Amino acid sequence: MMNIKRVISTIEKNYIAENLKKGERVDGRGLWEYRKVNISHDVIASAEGSAQVDLGETKIITGIKYDVGEPFSDLPDEGVCTIMAELLPLASPLFERGPPDEQSIELARVVDRGIRHADCVQTKKLCIKENEAVYIIFVDMFVLNYAGNLIDAGGISALTALISSRIPEGEWKDGTLEWTGKYLNGKDIIKELPLVLTYGKIGDSIFLDPNLPEELVSDGSISISVTKDKIVSIQKSGSATFSIDEIKELTERSMELGKEIREKLDLWQYVVDK
Amino acid sequence: MENDDLESEELDEFESEETDREIVVPGEVLTEDVEHFNPGRGTILNKERTKIIALNIGLKQIKKNYINVIPLRGFYTPRPGDKVIALVIDKNPVKYKLDINAKDTAILKPKNAVRRGKIKALRGGAPGSRRMEAEEFDIGDILVAKIISADRLNMPELTLVGKYLGKKEDGIVISIDPPKIPRIIGRNGSMIKLLKNLTKCNIFVTQNGRIWIKGENIEYERLLIDAINKIETEAHTVGLTDRMSQYIENEKQKRGIK
Amino acid sequence: MPLIINDVYPEKLFREDGKRLDGRENNELRPIKMEVGVLSNADGSAYLEWGNNKIYAAVYGPREVHPHHLAKPDRGILRVFYRMATFSVFERKRPAPGRREKEISMIITDCIEPVLFLELYPGTAFEVFIEVMDADGGTRCASTTVAALALADAGVPMRSLVSSVAVGKIDGQLITDLSGIEDKAGEADLPCAITWFNDELSLLQFDGDMSLDELNESLSNARKALEKIHQIQSDALKRKYTSILEEVKEGDD
Repeated sequence: MMNIKRVISTIEKNYIAENLKKGERVDGRGLWEYRKVNISHDVIASAEGSAQVDLGETKIITGIKYDVGEPFSDLPDEGVCTIMAELLPLASPLFERGPPDEQSIELARVVDRGIRHADCVQTKKLCIKENEAVYIIFVDMFVLNYAGNLIDAGGISALTALISSRIPEGEWKDGTLEWTGKYLNGKDIIKELPLVLTYGKIGDSIFLDPNLPEELVSDGSISISVTKDKIVSIQKSGSATFSIDEIKELTERSMELGKEIREKLDLWQYVVDK
Repeated sequence: MENDDLESEELDEFESEETDREIVVPGEVLTEDVEHFNPGRGTILNKERTKIIALNIGLKQIKKNYINVIPLRGFYTPRPGDKVIALVIDKNPVKYKLDINAKDTAILKPKNAVRRGKIKALRGGAPGSRRMEAEEFDIGDILVAKIISADRLNMPELTLVGKYLGKKEDGIVISIDPPKIPRIIGRNGSMIKLLKNLTKCNIFVTQNGRIWIKGENIEYERLLIDAINKIETEAHTVGLTDRMSQYIENEKQKRGIK
Repeated sequence: MPLIINDVYPEKLFREDGKRLDGRENNELRPIKMEVGVLSNADGSAYLEWGNNKIYAAVYGPREVHPHHLAKPDRGILRVFYRMATFSVFERKRPAPGRREKEISMIITDCIEPVLFLELYPGTAFEVFIEVMDADGGTRCASTTVAALALADAGVPMRSLVSSVAVGKIDGQLITDLSGIEDKAGEADLPCAITWFNDELSLLQFDGDMSLDELNESLSNARKALEKIHQIQSDALKRKYTSILEEVKEGDD
């Protein structure tokens, strides 16, 4: 479509909206269809885990780094997993340099909540010595190209990076931290596989996986995170409103779609040997 | 709607026999025979005046005794007389500001934003005097305009006075690399005619890399968009017009469009 | 608290068989792969893998300058922003740009500027964003190399490309293209770059100790390596188009 500027043309808005009413999308997809997904794991040698996900033209690379530190006082036997996102100025003429803005914070938080509430990262296993030393896992998402729906791409890349991680195993010996000579891998760290699905809304039309023009023209969106049997997180954003029936329909659809996609992606294939 | 303002020189570049299919990169030596050849478009003489060097990534072309480089990539530089597709991004009582896919924002003054065919007799004016009524636009409107002036000191200025100019009420605009625009038009308009006939779409192509299209239905429009993307990717090849004809027919069959 | 495994520098930087730790000869380059047009939004883009280095470069421009007071009325400006991802190094790097990144950004800007015709674009800026996703020695050289590629991909007129490499000395021997370990544990590091249109150095830094003879020899070695790198850059630029020409030819046959 026309090069992205801060202002979207009215005719493009109308074109997208009118066609959506007929169930048509400009790129030929169905209303509940994802763009092509490409996943590569273990792409960064310096990171303890990593993944690049391409969702259509949206590209995100996520890297895992670890540190060892003191636990939070209210969770003395649990490790910490912290998720951050950067919308690199590379990725779009709409992104400026500087500290994370609202959009990058929202990306990080939505992905974080989907993972946190799904009992995905086994934080109890990330404890080396209660009250003394726990793993701090940094999940850093870097957006290389913004072509709509950073959240779903981010979610898959964060999950794949965690699954493909290989972290040195530490033990507490006589008050000091030592290496056991072994590693923890994705099977130790991850239990559930939550997936986040984002829907755009324009007028009364709702559709999965907005591409860039659709996203810029949307009145709002809703992201729903699901595991194989639970809804774990919902985030509505933008000025669009959703009826209760619409929410019911979307959550049900998300559970179904979630199952299909989880099977298709088969993320456990990205576990690396210890 | 025709695009008859583009110089026929430009239209020939990609398809002409004088254009090599040799791809050159910035800094590449095109010739050391400075006796016989002169530096043309997209080239420069080195400091010692012993070599002609390419400035851009492009196709090497020898025309008479000029060596040119037809750029394959580049950004749009506004020139007076160019037709452009402009997006209104701001407005105030004295002017509109528009994005024309160039480094500078363009302006449109109300006096140049006149409604076609609407002429109002001035009350109390001299007999026969008329005033064109200016049309009002909103942010987000797409206008087909012509550049009146573009220089280093001032923002490019646009006018809507002219044939085929004015606001677009529907359709959609797509963007391609500006250097590839001549390929969409083709020699003597051959490519654009082909596209129009085979996809039954209205197409308007402008210098700033933007193309307005409107078809009978979304199937045709999608096909046209895919065809345009294919032309953009293969602009530097030969036999493109025939290949596009084949491509569109094949796709029509594959997609079940008549 | 320290990390569980620490970044250890080996004692010797040469193996028993006389080769470097990664199996290379003294003047051998690491494997280098380059590709252009990899990011759809940028005006021009390129990706490079150089040993374990993985670097993206994207160009936007000419466009408005922010903040506005940096704009020059009589010419355009070039701004290069070199950043490293948090996970690109052994110990996680803080997200905010540090002094080293700012210094390198400036050096690369100065290095590339001579090939551009900035006087043709008054009041605007060309911005080059370099993101190092994985680092393993010589990132400023690799970054300069990929940045030049991205500018060419954007169709920005250039007098020529710019190529860059680091040469140096480890365990008393002169080598070309220092890896991460060699950079950290070696005796001298000399990153440099050539602007091909005038055959001169536009980036030159040196840290360590070398004799005059060693310095001269290093610069000659650098030149040979730079020619190879230049060839890889040209091939990457052309390949985007020649591959299509071939495809089309095959289609016709």
